[in-house]
Amino acid sequence: MLIITLAAGRFFVHKWGAEHARYMAGGVDHPPNCISCHLYPQRDGFLAKMVNENYLSPLNGAVSPDGKKLYVVAQDADVVVVVDIPNSEAVSRIKTGRRPHSAKVSADGNTLYVTNQWANNIYVIDLPGGTVRDSIMTGGGPASMDFSPDGRFLFVANTYTHDISIIDLQENKEARRLYAGNFPTGVAVSPQSGFTYISSQRTVPVKFRTPPLTEITIIKTSGQRVAKRQYFKSAHIMENVAVTPQGDMAITTLVRPKNLVPSMQIERGWMINHGIGIVRSDGKMAQLLLDEPNAFYPDPYGIVIHPNGKYAYVSHSGADVVSIIDLDAVRALLDSASEEELNRYANHLGLSSLYVVKRIKTGSNPKGLAISPDGKYVFVMERMADHVTVIDTDKLEAVTNIDLGGPKKITVSRRGGQLFTNAGHTFHMQYSCYTCHPDGHEDGLTYDLVGTGRDLANVQTLRDLYGTAPFKWKGTNVSVYMQCGMRFSKFVTRTESFAPEDLDAVVAYIMRELTHPPNIHHMPGTALTEAQKRGKALFERIVTNDGREIPVKDRCTTCHNGPSYSNFKLANVGSAKETDDVIMFDAPNLNNVYESAPYLHDGSAQTLEEIWTIYGGDDNHGYVNDMTKDQLNDLVEYLKSLTAARFQTEKDDYQINKSEL
Amino acid sequence: MKKNANRIRWTARGIFALAIVSFLGFIQPDSPKINSKTSKETFSQSSEKKAAPMPLYGKWKSFTTKDGLPSDKIYCVRVDGDRVWAGTNHGLALLEDGAWKVFTEKDGLAHRGVLSIDVSPVTGDLWIGTMSGLSRYSGGRFETFTQLNSGLANDVIYSVFCDEKDVWAATGGGASKLDTYTGKWEIYTERNAPMHEPWTYNVCAGGGKVFIAAWGGGVIEWNKETKRFRDYTDPDGELEIDLFPNDGIVHDITTAVSYANDLLWVATYFGMSTYDGNQWKGYFDHDSGLASNFINFVKANGDVGWLCTDNGLSSFNGITWVTYKVLENKKGQVIINGNTDDEKILPASSAISHNFAMGVDFSGDVIWVATSKGLSRGEIVGYSDAATTRL
Repeated sequence: MLIITLAAGRFFVHKWGAEHARYMAGGVDHPPNCISCHLYPQRDGFLAKMVNENYLSPLNGAVSPDGKKLYVVAQDADVVVVVDIPNSEAVSRIKTGRRPHSAKVSADGNTLYVTNQWANNIYVIDLPGGTVRDSIMTGGGPASMDFSPDGRFLFVANTYTHDISIIDLQENKEARRLYAGNFPTGVAVSPQSGFTYISSQRTVPVKFRTPPLTEITIIKTSGQRVAKRQYFKSAHIMENVAVTPQGDMAITTLVRPKNLVPSMQIERGWMINHGIGIVRSDGKMAQLLLDEPNAFYPDPYGIVIHPNGKYAYVSHSGADVVSIIDLDAVRALLDSASEEELNRYANHLGLSSLYVVKRIKTGSNPKGLAISPDGKYVFVMERMADHVTVIDTDKLEAVTNIDLGGPKKITVSRRGGQLFTNAGHTFHMQYSCYTCHPDGHEDGLTYDLVGTGRDLANVQTLRDLYGTAPFKWKGTNVSVYMQCGMRFSKFVTRTESFAPEDLDAVVAYIMRELTHPPNIHHMPGTALTEAQKRGKALFERIVTNDGREIPVKDRCTTCHNGPSYSNFKLANVGSAKETDDVIMFDAPNLNNVYESAPYLHDGSAQTLEEIWTIYGGDDNHGYVNDMTKDQLNDLVEYLKSLTAARFQTEKDDYQINKSEL
Repeated sequence: MKKNANRIRWTARGIFALAIVSFLGFIQPDSPKINSKTSKETFSQSSEKKAAPMPLYGKWKSFTTKDGLPSDKIYCVRVDGDRVWAGTNHGLALLEDGAWKVFTEKDGLAHRGVLSIDVSPVTGDLWIGTMSGLSRYSGGRFETFTQLNSGLANDVIYSVFCDEKDVWAATGGGASKLDTYTGKWEIYTERNAPMHEPWTYNVCAGGGKVFIAAWGGGVIEWNKETKRFRDYTDPDGELEIDLFPNDGIVHDITTAVSYANDLLWVATYFGMSTYDGNQWKGYFDHDSGLASNFINFVKANGDVGWLCTDNGLSSFNGITWVTYKVLENKKGQVIINGNTDDEKILPASSAISHNFAMGVDFSGDVIWVATSKGLSRGEIVGYSDAATTRL
């Protein structure tokens, strides 16, 4: 009897489990495996620690002036791994601040500078000992940096505050801060041209449903003023920039999204392309694709130029490839091109064979590149492999692969990271999940995913998604499994969907690894400002300025409550346009909302203020029209301060310079 | 709805004020004022102070639409190195390499009515206050902040001032401060500052303080260290006369403030005041060399304050007044120590473009004056104590 009962129980549990898995996966069969959803995506707890590993995740690197040491920034481990180049061996580690991004070695080889992106500072580290000598405050989210020609100043791109810190290295403090583009990341100083170039990830605000315009900020290096702001049209995610030794070109990696056409155009090679953007010394601009017909090389990230100025090396983090570009061929092509031809080249898939001389296979997720001072070697940081591939620039082939000493085991989540950052699952490898979700966030664009010109979707962040279902602006996806499963292949990638085990891995990676950075408007361990406190009172108010009770449905906290400031329900906030088939949308999470412009389901509000000044006229999106302008400012200040609870409860673990940013 | 009503209310007030200014801009006095020559002593803020001789400007050249400006009505002028920026009622104009270039809404400027310009000492970026928004010009591109897309208090920007990393805007709906590092906006109105009403006209900073010329509210001082406000108002209240001399600011209808060398200069439509942190001094057209009590703008250049009035351009160093006027025959007139026994009236072969002056700025020995009928450029040709000066 017992056996029969157990068998029956097992049968029904299994049947229920299968139905549950099928439901959560969006109506497709998915092996009922409890740990897929209930263990692998977990961040905390004993079991979660048991099944996961602490990887290094090398992002960028710098070579010592004598060419003997490579300093590899391990983003997830908060260390710099020191590699002995002659022996191809990781020999030591230097502790950094939280979430280091880039490294630079001084000309005398005695000092290493490391940007700590989550700590908003730069560590000044004595070499070879590895002692942190000083910490220099920067703007929010310092990323790449470069020295002025005399070595006196360091130009730093601050991704989160959208500006550039110029650090006086004699004083070890910020000398001035200049506006940059949107989410600046790359920096390159050109001693020959006298200019410094800063590339940006995102488009500047543009008119609704017009192509992105992404800024490359050009600073007169000696005067430390912005000389020019130039824009690459229909391009973004300009992660890094490099300059030729001759000073005739600044070259940035870029992605060309066709977000204004239906995503189903992927089959025509029209969805997303990848290439480089060039600013010539005369100010002329050009874009060249690194893709080929039927073969794409997504997510270009790192770029270095050989000291002879003849070759550029570009890592394609979504294709596990490094492209080698003949710059003389590029010069010849651009010299002979008319303006009209240059415009055509930006979309020309057939040109890359003229200037791409070789593609070199790398390990998983090649990101930053570093080149030895003599130009003999290019080092490729493989973020999802914890390795460095070494390319011999004479032989034009990978000659060594250096193990940085990360965990050998590939966990489910790590496997998910490799899938997330790789374009292998899209038609012709046009793009990866990362392409539209750089750094696990969102790219700030609105896409026509359905392909009918309707239900335009503002890309949403993937950070801190755990426990925030449903997903999609319409709230129709009950799980990330559903979002990334069949729907992904049907509407987006136009290929077969992920295999169940791959889907488990991708979901585990998204839910577990992708997190918001600390909120720069509300640092861990700090109290709300007076304006934020006033804004909080407005956010939580139940009566109007003149004492009338605000209906429950019109209170901010009705829809935006809980740790993510969402009730995960649909609401009509009056934002629907004629192109929308529905009028109710999922209440978005609000943590770190300041870094998610534009706003509303279709990205029509460029700023938080516009949600109410332009789109909130009927008081559908909360009751705000009785507010004075200063009250609205306070409300916005409070919204910008919303942050995941863990940042307020953790000990001071971020070594954040608590001075005002 | 209330917000919209407020918006309309303040926009209407701003337009009204601008209309007054614009209307008055067309009024040119029939002739230079006849001096009453009342007996008075020359004075400085501090009795120990020995002022240097006043520079005398001449060799005036006028720039108008014929030279490439978009309008002859020049609201403001700002020198930035080798470049000269002029704000007109039909766009922003840049004089560079001897030629004028004009920017309007088509180029991204918030509005063609440019009322104020300042240059950030930190970034070198240009901030432009217009009749419909605040623009930043940097690297050849405009970015615009409005009351709809940002925390700016109101779109009518009478004045913009860059104080280190902060950008202040005096608007029709309060004073706004943008912290360019954090992106945080703050608004100061009668709700959180000792203002009579939110209409602010001008702002400046110095000595660790920010000073706001608040319409009808005198001068609002904001201490950057204590982050506290205090106000300076006319002890005579709403009386149009100054009952007791030097007892405080001369009038609550303040139009401009400027700070240099520990001295605050305050312009009103009823005279001028200075404040050294201890003592107020008042100056009027009937008992000093001030060209007119109707003062549109003031700017301190070192020890010298420059007053842009409806009847000429006056300058004052605490001892000596020098006023520049244009006569009906287009010749110039320089009046030294007007209204005193020492008065000297010097004829000049050239003159400022118009007696209705609205802005002034300097670059070395060169002065630029914004007037309602053109932009004037002059240069130092001598000093007030010189025996001979060719004007």
